This record gives sequence, structure tokens and C-alpha cells, in this order.
Amino acid sequence: MNAILNFISRIGQLDRRWIFLIIALVVLVPLYFPLGLPIRATESTKQVWEAVENLEPESKVLLSMEYGPSTKPELHPMVFGIVRHLLKNEHKIYITCLWPDGQFMAEDLIEKVIEVEFPNKSYGEDYVLLGFRPGGEAVIKGIVGNIRKLYTVDARGSAVNDIPMMSGVNKFIDFDFLFSASAGFPGTIEWVQYASDPTGVPMSTGTTSIQVNEVMPYVQGGQVNGILAGMPGAAEYESLIGVPGIGTSGMDAQSIAHIVIVLFIIFGNVAYFVERNKSQKY
Amino acid sequence: MSGELIGAWIAVFLTLAIFSYLYKDNAFYKIAEHLFVGISAGYWTSMFFWTQIQPNLFGRLWPSSRYDSESLWYGIYNAMSWINSSVFPAGGIDKGHEMHLIYLIPFALGIMMLLSVFDKLSWFARWGIAYTVGMAAGLRAYGYLNSNVIAQVRNSTLKFSDPDMPVFALIGNSYFNGIVLLIGTIAGLLYFYFSKEQKGAFGKVTRVGIYFLMVSFGASFGFAVMGRISLLIGRFVDLIAYNGTQYHHATSWILVIMVILLGYSAYKNDDPKGNTAE
Repeated sequence: MNAILNFISRIGQLDRRWIFLIIALVVLVPLYFPLGLPIRATESTKQVWEAVENLEPESKVLLSMEYGPSTKPELHPMVFGIVRHLLKNEHKIYITCLWPDGQFMAEDLIEKVIEVEFPNKSYGEDYVLLGFRPGGEAVIKGIVGNIRKLYTVDARGSAVNDIPMMSGVNKFIDFDFLFSASAGFPGTIEWVQYASDPTGVPMSTGTTSIQVNEVMPYVQGGQVNGILAGMPGAAEYESLIGVPGIGTSGMDAQSIAHIVIVLFIIFGNVAYFVERNKSQKY
Repeated sequence: MSGELIGAWIAVFLTLAIFSYLYKDNAFYKIAEHLFVGISAGYWTSMFFWTQIQPNLFGRLWPSSRYDSESLWYGIYNAMSWINSSVFPAGGIDKGHEMHLIYLIPFALGIMMLLSVFDKLSWFARWGIAYTVGMAAGLRAYGYLNSNVIAQVRNSTLKFSDPDMPVFALIGNSYFNGIVLLIGTIAGLLYFYFSKEQKGAFGKVTRVGIYFLMVSFGASFGFAVMGRISLLIGRFVDLIAYNGTQYHHATSWILVIMVILLGYSAYKNDDPKGNTAE
């Protein structure tokens, strides 16, 4: 018994660099040797899928990209999944960005998904990149009030009046659905406060894991139709649309890493109590 | 391809340099850190100037649609164009805007903000700050009140009138979940009521509030861990991709060189007793 307690106590004093190394290994190994662990969609992911699936054909969907390279691993896969689903169901996509980096992400999305997987979809008729406009929530207010005043040209310099799919789109209420891929401020919460709640246009969201707790009250309250929560949310959405992508490939590593972290937390706590017990004894 | 190759090697170097901090503070980390700070400052300054000030401010003060070389207003513009033709291109700024001279007010407020660098004129900055604070408070007041207060209160009420609602369900709406939500909300709010000492029956209720808050913090911690691991996976996926033959095994080469140099540095800095410098 003493040997076990001593072992646990020694684990409690382990140099943190060993922990970093172990975490790196448990993340790296499943990336090389995938285990194919099952992915089951949660209720909130299913809600997003259903919201997109139940849209009328040729619905006008506003896709707002509020993230950059720093959160790309979490949000890019879910945006890929959403766009695949929307284009497969013949909807029109209008891409806006509240963050400047979002425009680079949108261009990457167009290059890697839309142009490669949907070559029959044409720019200006099936999708358009309106691009970044500075101003945070003021931009949202601008889109709600008069999108044409805010966007006179798209990201490629074409006059918005000359873009066929912009016909009949003058303000936010002209859209049928909003999907916000958000990594922070301004993002999902501002879209709820200034656009979706005041106008009643339905919206769903995909956020970084760290934001989920902040956004969840809006989902539970029915103000937002579901949420894709970080990389697992993206993987679940990929499984629902039947197109495995970057999200799915990272889930083995994610799951194993979580198990190891939970074990570390348990060992750390046990070691703490063992140490405390020892110091009280002597 | 050469540009992509150089980009891949730089990306690998910077990623591994940042990761090297997990071993200890070192020169590679310092290089990456300083590059990040400098490039970020430059990038954001440039981004905000070219996406905000030049098109939205100057573009509305001197739009090409109203260009008239004879007018005094565009005479000032032409003089500035002579100084810097990229910011003030010949013939006015073509960003699809009409002329709005009311934008002279934010222009003046912006200049006032910049005057804060001069001690004697720094009081001007208060006007700009006052405008920003007032505008933001007014803009956000309605949004918060509508979505965070009224809608949240309405949505956390028990819907006894719904005959289809189940008594118990783990996920989704049910009477049980509604009651838990109601108790959690009230107990959590009462915990932050500091005008009464938290003891007796009131103390027991606030204790329940603490438990709900602890569950919330635990969930936040779990999501934070999940997010960080996702970002780590993202970097590892890139490092694996950049280790391919088309990138001449950038990851392996840089990793080996970095480990050798860090090992050599640790060996040189070791004191006779074997304590490494932290």
C-alpha cells in the first residue's frame, strides 16, 4: 500500500514538461494511426442540421465568418460542412465577415470547397463573397437596416447592383437564414442581439469550444437553432451530412487526449490528498 | 511552389519555436514572440487604415463621383494627392460612396484622439472617448435588454400550458429540466445578492447557487480544454503535412536542428551541481 501511495505522490511531483510531452504524443499518435472511434451527433448539432435541412429550396442564407487562422482548426471544418449542405440543397449563400481575417478564411473556403466540389455553381448566382466591413456590431446594424448602403461593392470589386443574386436583397429580413461561425467579439451574440432577435430571421451558429457556455443560453432559450460546438461539433455535422472531413480526422486524437487529461486530473487530486495526509501525519 | 515552400518552412519554424517555450524560455521562442507582436501591430494598423479610414472616411469626404478639380475642397484633395497618391488617388476615391461632409465630425474626433500624445492637448481626446462610450452604450443597451434580459427571462419560465411537454427528459424541454433551470437561475442570482448575510435558510439557497456556478465553471473548463486540444490538433495536422517530400521534410529538419541547439544551450548553461536555468 505504501509503495502505491509513494508512487502516486511521485506522480504529483512530476515535472510539467513530461505532461506536455505525453499530451503531444497522445494527440500525435492517433493522427498517424486513426482508431475510427464512433461519432454520435448531439442534440444541438442535430438542431443545426435540421434547421438547414428544413429550409425551402433556393433559400437565401447569410453566412457570417467571424474567425481567423488562430481558430481555424475548430471553425473551418464546420463552415465547410455547412456550405456543402447548403449547396447540395440548392440554396444561395451570401458570405460576410465581421473580422478582417474572416475574408481570407472565406476565400479559402471558396477555393477548397465550392470551386472544387461544386464546379457547376457560379459566383454571383449561387454564392457571393460580400467581404469584410469594419465596425463590429455597427456592421450588423447596417446589414439589418440597409445592406446595400453598407456593401456597394463585393470583395472582388464588382458593384453589388450588378450581382444577379443580390436582386431583392436589401436588408437582413430578406434573408431566410443566418449561420454565424464565430470565434468571439463581434460574433454570434451580437448577431442574436442586433439581427435575429429584432427581426425574427432564424439563425444557427458554430463557435469555438471556449464560447459554447456563453452562447448556450441563447440555444436553450430557442433564440438560436442549435450550435456546433468546436471541433467535435464539426465532426458531428460531417457525420450527419455523410462527408467526413478535417473535423472527423481529428476526433480520435481529441478523445484520447481528453481521457489522458481526465486521468491526469484524477492523479493530481489523489496525489494532493496523499501529500496532505502525509504532511498532517508528520 | 517556391513561395509556398518558403511559407511552409517559416510556418514550421514559428510553430516549433512557440512550442519550445513548453521546455523553457529560449531564443527561438523570443524570436517568434517578437515577430508576432511586431507583425500583428503592423498588420492591424495597415488593415484598419485601408479598410476603414481610407475607404469609409476619406472615401466619403472626397468621393470620385463628385470630383471637381476646380473646387476648393478638391483642391485640398489634389494637394494631398501630390503628397501621397496611393491614399489619395487622382480623381477622387472610388469606393462607391456619395459625398457626406458630416463625416468631418468623426474625422475631427479621430484627430482629437491622436492629440492625446501631446500633454498640453491631451484633454481633446476626452471628446472622442466620450462620443465612443456614449454611442456604444446607447447601441448596446437595447440589444442586451431585449436578448439577454427580456428574452432570457421569458425563456426560463416554466411552460405549464404546454400539454406535449414530457415530465422528464435528459435533453431538451421537460418539466424536470425547467424546474432545474428555474432553481439554478434563482439560486445563482441570490448568491450575488450581498445586502443580506448568507446564513440560515438564505445561506442554504445561496449554497445551491454556488453548486450551480461550480457546474458552470466546470463546463467552461472542459470546453476550454477541448478548444486548446483542437488547436493543437490543427497545428499538428499542418506540421505533419509540411513534413512531406514536397516540402523537403521541413518539420523533421527544423525539429532536429532546434533540439540540438536547445540541448547544446542547456549543456553550456548547466551549473556544476546540475541545476538547469529555468
